[in-house]
This record gives sequence, structure tokens and C-alpha cells, in this order.
Amino acid sequence: MDSTSGSQQQSLNRSHRLLLFSVFVIATCGLIYELVAGTMASYLLGDSVTQFSTVIGAYLFSMGIGSWLSGKVDGDLFRWFILIEILVGVVGGCSAPVMFLLFEHVTSFRVVLYAFVALTGILVGLEIPILMRIMNAGVEFRHLVARVFTFDYIGALLASLIFPLLLIPYLGLIRTSLVFGLFNVGVAVYILYSFRETVRYRRRMATLVAGGSLVLVAGFVFAERIMSYSETLAFQDKVIYSKSTPYQRIVLTRNNRELRLFLNGNLQFSSADEYRYHEALVHPAMQAVPAAARVLILGGGDGLAVRELLRYPALKSVTLVDLDPAMTQMFSNSEMLLQLNKRSLLSDKVHVVNTDAFNYVRTDSSLYDVIIVDFPDPSNYSIGKLYTVKFYEEVSRLLQERGIMVIQSTSPLVARRSFWCIAHSLEAVGFTTVPYHVYVPSFGEWGYVMAMKGHLWHPEGTLPDGLRYINRNVMKTMTSFPPDMAEVPTDINKLNNQVLVNYFEEEWAPYEH
Amino acid sequence: MNTDRPEMPSRREWLRLLAGVPLAAVAACSSKNPYSHITGGIAGANHKVGHLLRDGAAIPAPDEYMEREIVIAGAGVSGLSAARWLDRKGHNDILLLEMGERTGGNAVWGQNKASAYPWGAHYLPVPDAADEELAAFLQAAGVITGYRNGLPVFNEYHLCHDPEERLFIHGHWQEGLLPHFGVPGPDRQQIAGFMQHVAALKEEKGTDGKYAFSIPLDTSSADERWRILDTITFAQYLKERGYTSAYLLWYLNYCCKDDYGMGIEHTSAWAGLHYFAARRGRAANADHSSILTWPQGNGFLADALRAQCGNAEIKTGVLLYRVLPHLDYVELHCLMPDTGKSFGIRAKKVLLSSPRYVNKHLLAGDISNRISGQASYAPWVVANITFSSLPQGRGTALCWDNVIYGRDSVGYVYANHQSLTPPVGKGVITWYLPIQAGSDKDARMQVYKRSWNDWVKVIMEDLSIAHRDIHRFVENIDVWVWGHGMIQPVPGYIWGRERTAAMRPVNDRIFFAHSDLSGISIFEEAFHQGIRAAKELSGMS
Repeated sequence: MDSTSGSQQQSLNRSHRLLLFSVFVIATCGLIYELVAGTMASYLLGDSVTQFSTVIGAYLFSMGIGSWLSGKVDGDLFRWFILIEILVGVVGGCSAPVMFLLFEHVTSFRVVLYAFVALTGILVGLEIPILMRIMNAGVEFRHLVARVFTFDYIGALLASLIFPLLLIPYLGLIRTSLVFGLFNVGVAVYILYSFRETVRYRRRMATLVAGGSLVLVAGFVFAERIMSYSETLAFQDKVIYSKSTPYQRIVLTRNNRELRLFLNGNLQFSSADEYRYHEALVHPAMQAVPAAARVLILGGGDGLAVRELLRYPALKSVTLVDLDPAMTQMFSNSEMLLQLNKRSLLSDKVHVVNTDAFNYVRTDSSLYDVIIVDFPDPSNYSIGKLYTVKFYEEVSRLLQERGIMVIQSTSPLVARRSFWCIAHSLEAVGFTTVPYHVYVPSFGEWGYVMAMKGHLWHPEGTLPDGLRYINRNVMKTMTSFPPDMAEVPTDINKLNNQVLVNYFEEEWAPYEH
Repeated sequence: MNTDRPEMPSRREWLRLLAGVPLAAVAACSSKNPYSHITGGIAGANHKVGHLLRDGAAIPAPDEYMEREIVIAGAGVSGLSAARWLDRKGHNDILLLEMGERTGGNAVWGQNKASAYPWGAHYLPVPDAADEELAAFLQAAGVITGYRNGLPVFNEYHLCHDPEERLFIHGHWQEGLLPHFGVPGPDRQQIAGFMQHVAALKEEKGTDGKYAFSIPLDTSSADERWRILDTITFAQYLKERGYTSAYLLWYLNYCCKDDYGMGIEHTSAWAGLHYFAARRGRAANADHSSILTWPQGNGFLADALRAQCGNAEIKTGVLLYRVLPHLDYVELHCLMPDTGKSFGIRAKKVLLSSPRYVNKHLLAGDISNRISGQASYAPWVVANITFSSLPQGRGTALCWDNVIYGRDSVGYVYANHQSLTPPVGKGVITWYLPIQAGSDKDARMQVYKRSWNDWVKVIMEDLSIAHRDIHRFVENIDVWVWGHGMIQPVPGYIWGRERTAAMRPVNDRIFFAHSDLSGISIFEEAFHQGIRAAKELSGMS
């Protein structure tokens, strides 16, 4: 053997090893894309067995199409291979971020999902056969097949292990998909500059590589923003509406059974059982003032409490004060939501005021027979101000002597001190109180406090027809508290101590995820 | 970074380029001025008009004169307080002159779409129930709404809402300003020991039966036992008593900077202790350490004082530049810098509620020397920062007062804190920096020289310690430079002879009122200085 052929043999070995290493990398990438798609489908569509099974099936089938197509590929195989690598890198790499971004905006997400699965599968299916044809020169076929598939399967093993153990916990789905996209592009670069055969089109391919990597790197840098833009992961059900207003983030989700409203990620109601919550909020108070003509609602921009109020024919006017015009507009315009609140906000009797409740009660000088206070839970200091004695003093001015006020007061079971703190703060202003509670499946055990100016609560009116939850018996039993929700001593909630927010934080903390 | 591109990148270069793309992106972002989107400018600080006085510019003598009974110069808290008191005592010819465009002095305030905000003083501790004058004013202003069991009931809208204070220390926002998060046991013991020490001092009385430390400070005991503390620095005092904890000393240094514009090394020990031991406030509906505050800070109190000035006439934009005492009247020369016109006043009596460094230029000769003395002032830089949101670190949520451990600045107050409306994105914080370097004149010149861009950088770097990437959320920064922010109670100032000499009236015609004459720049002192001088003027002292 002379020295020339020896060095030729060496360089052949070297390029052979190089190509085998490429097999290993692209095999790892290929399986990662499959896992990304499967995980994405089970995150977003639920039912992971079905999703994984169909995604894997479709992916393998697409790979089959790719392999078949490889038979049609002719000409410069290096060129084809590099091109395919860049394409796999970009398509596979961008699959996760693009699916995340599109999820909320397309009517049929499955079309997008399977389009990605098919395209990636076809491209991945093309890779190995073409690579084998490149490597075929100078190697015995049985060795070639043995080596290529060995590395193919090792790559697959590596991918299946690092995906759940390292990649998802440390990189997350979006960054994992992008990083492996870059690996594919890396293989393209590697081949492009390792083989003399590619000299002619190096410059053109280099432009493609630069473009592709730029897209992937940009995706990697902005992955956090992509995640926060797509909030789908935070909700169990399909998001059918979402909007950010200056005050809050409004999200509506739906599944077969129910419609749910979330404000800043907190559940406000589920259409399946909101009737329990709203009947319990409105009717006990209204029963004690059967001739009530003027009612004030603070909060409750969904119009569901108004729906209950409009069952009373004696009622002349309802003033609804809700901070966020987007809420009241949404519940006055959307046909689906109008069905839920029975077009209550469109009634002639209803007067909607979009302003903040504290300033409203400080400046209003009307008198009301019933006042319904339906604020979000006191989970931060600015909402906490709406549960202080100072606020109750101001509302007290607006309540008729024989009137009654009712306040939604969080869960007496989960947040026992918070609940009784609200009752005690009302008492500190001079109200007599009637605390009560009901069971709302999507919330759990829920509490309210009625407040009156010295008189007693006598629910003597006639209950309107069509109620599904409240009746005489329920009203009798709801004021009785079992020992695990019974009264506990608390401080009074004031602007300058905000004890309620602290109670609430402590009591709900174990329930935060 | 080299931007020349070779004809054809080699393989190695390609790899380097690929690896470098994320770095290059970062470099491209950081080389750009990260603050270029922030608007604002240097506000207020009309030191140029003031310097007309200092430089003795040739101002034409007035040719027109008016006659007035009482003229008060300076519509800060002491001047307004004097005008209010005199008006209530039935004086009906009072003219109050103010050089600036607005009244309020150190309590001036501003406003934008996000909130009203202070430019200086921003709170009042719940006052001593024994301070009847102050209580009467607060009741008329709606701050005290009544009395229960003999104790004042404070308006709950004005009491600082919860949560009040937090400190960023060891990467975490702890509740309260006394360091405790990650603070070792021995340090905590020293801190607790010091707080006990000052709590005991609060109740100490001298042989004259007066409290050792009181507000107004001239009502404190004359007992040598305590007055001698005015001859040493607070740092000396602490060292002698074995207080060595770095955390405790940081806290005390912070307190002195906050109230006196200088650290414990320069503050008189008497003044340092006064900060902790002079307040015996009580309330029916708040505890003794509670404070009162408003979105516009003490601008609320200054406006309330002005509203209680009755018939007193107030003229702003008038620079009083000369005061000439005569046997039976006082001649005043005034300039309106806007028009360049000057006029004169012949007043029966004059009350100068301007600071001592200004008075020096108004009067001549021996009197000038006597009233100006050796007063030194701390320059302050105050910035109002409008943001779209405030990224928070770990720990306690945004409070009214927010301090970062170990910094030159004394932190910031949140102007929207007292708001009853849920925050709609935007908010304003007011950031405070006392300038301590060098002699105060040098420090002042340094402060005036710095551009708005320099301040934005200083402020953003300071805040980014606790709020990562805060600059991205900041929309506007307005900066106010106070060349003479507050009087500094260095050793010997409060109980030295000069201070009492400076208070003495001239010919029973010119009277002096300013918190400079107390040596502590707080609302209560200015309020009482105004009343003291007004009493002297009307012969009631």
C-alpha cells in the first residue's frame, strides 16, 4: 500500500466517521421533534394516550413517505442533504413556538398540529436514505446498514432519555425544539464545510444557514415572551376569548359542559353552577326587603346578580358599578354571554357606571334599599381597601335605615379568619350581621355576610319562580355554621392595617400551585 | 466588534459566527442607550433667580412704593403658618411674598396623569396630643376628625395605608426598615438594645421637669445632661456605648440621611437621638409610630395652611432682595424676575420666613452676620419617576416607603399608595438622594453641573438593584435639584449661641421664622417657628 492510497483511505475513514456522527445527531433530533409534537398535543388537547398514539403513528407514516420520496431524489446528493437538514432544523425547531402562538388563533388546531407532524416526518424520513446513499461509496453494504442503524437507534435512545429528564425540566418545550433545530442546522454546516464536493454552492447554502439560525436563535432569546404570550397552558379548557384591559386579564374558557370566566387567572364563575352562587348572593337579602325598589351592585360586571334581581317586579332601578368597561361591554354584547345573564345588562332598569367603587360610594348621595357587594377576593392590598371599615362606613351612608347589604366574603372553610374578619369589620361600623354559606361545586364552601342597621333579618317575601337552588329550607340552614367554619376572633380590617389581606394570603397559600 | 466581512468565511469563522450570534444580539442591545425612551427633564430648582441675590446683581432701585402693615417673606411652611396665625388673631393687612411660582417651600408638589406626587417633604408622624396648636390646625384641615377618650381620631384616608415600609436586603424585600432578614443574632440583639435605649429616653425628663427630647425642640429640657450631647457626633455617641453592628449603624445612618441630609459621622448626637426619642404621638385609631401621608406629600398640609390664611394676600414670583430697617418702618425692595420690574414696600413689621442663607443677602452689616451664622445645608436630588409597571423582587409587596440597603439614596415613596382606585398600570414613585460628598458648596456645584442624562443613569442604576430591568418600564423621570435641601444639625448648631441669636428680632420690626432656626427641617418645627415669630411680631410672646 503506497502512501497516497493510505492517506486516501484515512480521509475516507474520517469522512465516514463524520457522516456516522451526523446520523447520530439527526436521529436524536428526529425523535425529539416527535416527542415535542406528542407532548404539545397532550398539553393543549388533553387525553395524552390518544394524542401520543396518533402523533407517533402520523409521524412514522410521514417518515415512510419521506423514505419513499428519497427514491425520487437525484443529482447532487450532498446538496439535497444539506438543504433537507436546514429545512428540518427550521421546521422542526420552530414547531413548538409556532404551535403555541397559533393555538388560540386558529379554529382547528389539529390541522396545524398534523401539518407540522407530517412535514417534519417527511423531511426526517428523507434524511437517512439520502445519507446512506452518500456513504454507500467504498463501504460494504452490510456494514453500512449495520452502522447507520446502530447510530440511528443510539440517537433515539439518547433522545428518549434526555427529553423528560433534562430538556423539559431545564429548557422547556419551546427552547428544546429550537435547540435541536440548531443542531440540525449545525449538521448542515458541518457537512457543507467538510466536503470538497460542496464548494460550488457553499456561499448560497451559507446564506440559508445564516437565515435559518437567525430565526432559531431569535426564537430562543424570546422564548419567555412567547410563553407568556400564550397562556393556554394555564387553563384546563379551550380558551375561547381573552383580552387584556388596563385593569385585568379577562379569559373565557369552554368545554362540553361549561363556560368559565377567569379574571387575572382566578375563576369567577362556571356556567354549570354559578346559579348557586348568584341565587345565594341575591335572594336572602331581597327576601328581607320584599318591596325593594332601588338596588346598588358594586362589582359583578357579568350581570349575573342583576339577572337574579330582575326576577322581582317591584324593582325599579339597579345601579351597577364595575371598574372595567370591557367586562360590562362583553356581557352586554356577546350572544353567548347574553344567554347566560338573560340580557340583564340591557334592561331599561339597569344603569351601568364604569368607575371605581370606592370613589363612587364616597361621592354618591342616593339611598338604596339593597346593596350587593360582589368584589374579587381580597388577594392584594388595592382590593383589600374595598373590605375596610372606612369603605363600609361610606357604603353605610347609602343604605336605607331598613335596607340590607350583602357582601361576598370568600370561603369560610378555606379562609376562616378572612371570612369572620369581614363580618367583624362590618360589626365594627355598627352593622348587625348575618353570616351564611352555601356550597358551589366549582368554588367549594362559599361565604357571604348580610349587614343591617340594627334590625333583624326576616326573609318574609315571596320567592320568585324558577329558582334552582334557594328555597325556604335552604335559607334556614345556610346560617348555621358547623364547627370547622365556626366564628373565630379576628382583628378589624382598616386601611392602615390591612389584616384581611394578610389572613387571606396565609389561608389560601396552601392552595396556590 | 469587527464589522468587515471577509470574502468567504472559513469553516472556523462560520462556527464562530454561529456561536457568536446570541452574544452579538446581546451586545447590539446593550451598546444602545437603554434609557433613550425615557422622557423628562430637570424641573423646578429656580436657583438662578436665587443667585441674583448672592451675586449682588445690579438691580435698579424701586421708584414706586406701597405701604403695608405686615409683610411676610417666604411662603414655605413657616411663612404660611405665621400668616395663618396672624390672620386668625385679627390682623387684616398681611402681604405674603414668595420668590417661586408656588407656595409650600420644601412641601411643593406636582402632578401628572398617573398621580400627584411630592417634590420634597412627604409625611407627618402622628403628633403629640399635647401639641394643641398643631392639633387645631389638623382638625381644621380634616386630618383629625374628632376625639375619642381624649385622643384624636385621625382621618383614615390620611393615615398611611398598609403595607407601610419595606427594605431590600440580601436580595429580598423584608417588611419594615429595621434590618432583620438574614441579619445575625448578635446584630439583632444590638438593634433591639438600641431601640430599648431610645424608648427609655422618650420618657426621660430633666431637672426642669421637661422631656429630654421634644417637638418643637425648643421645649426640650435645658438639662446639661442631654444638651452636652450636642457637642459630639452621633457616631461618637454610638461608639462610646458599644454599638458596633454594621446593620444597626447602617439603619441609624439611613435615618440621619433621611431627616438631616447627612450621616451619623456628621450629625450631632443630640439631633440623632431626637429623631428617635422626641415623638410621643398618640391616637384613638392608630399606634404611636403611625404616620400621615398624601399622594402629594406635605403639599397637602402646605395647601391646607394656605387655605387657612383667610384674608392674607399672597404674591408669588416676587423676589425680595433688600431689607432696610428704619426707625419707624422697614423698607423692602422687591423684583419681579419675569418682567424685570422692581417695586418697594414700606412695612410696619416684617417677618422673614426665608432660610438663613437667603437672609444673609437681604440685610447688611452686623445684622447680616448675626442672622446668617454658620448654617450649612444638605443638597438633595429628588426624582419623580412615572412607570407603566414596577417589576418586583421576592418578598413583601410594594409599600409606601421602599428602601434599598447599603445605598447612597434613601429609597423611594410610592405616590399612588394612598389611592383608593386600583392601580391602572401607571404609577409614580418619588426617589430621594441626599448629597453628602465634600463641603456643601462644592457638593452643590457638583449637583448643579450634572445633566438630566447623568441623573437618569444614577437613578436607574440605583433602582435596578431591587427592580431588575426597571428602565424598560419607566416612561418619564423629572428631576428636582435642591441646592439647599435642608439645614444640617451638625454638633453645636442646635444648642450653640448662634441659633438663638439668629432668632432675635431687629428693632422690634424684623422677625425671623424658619425651620433653619430650629436646626431640624421637619414640618412641626417650621409650623411652630411661624407661630413663635408671629407671636413676637404681635407682641404676644
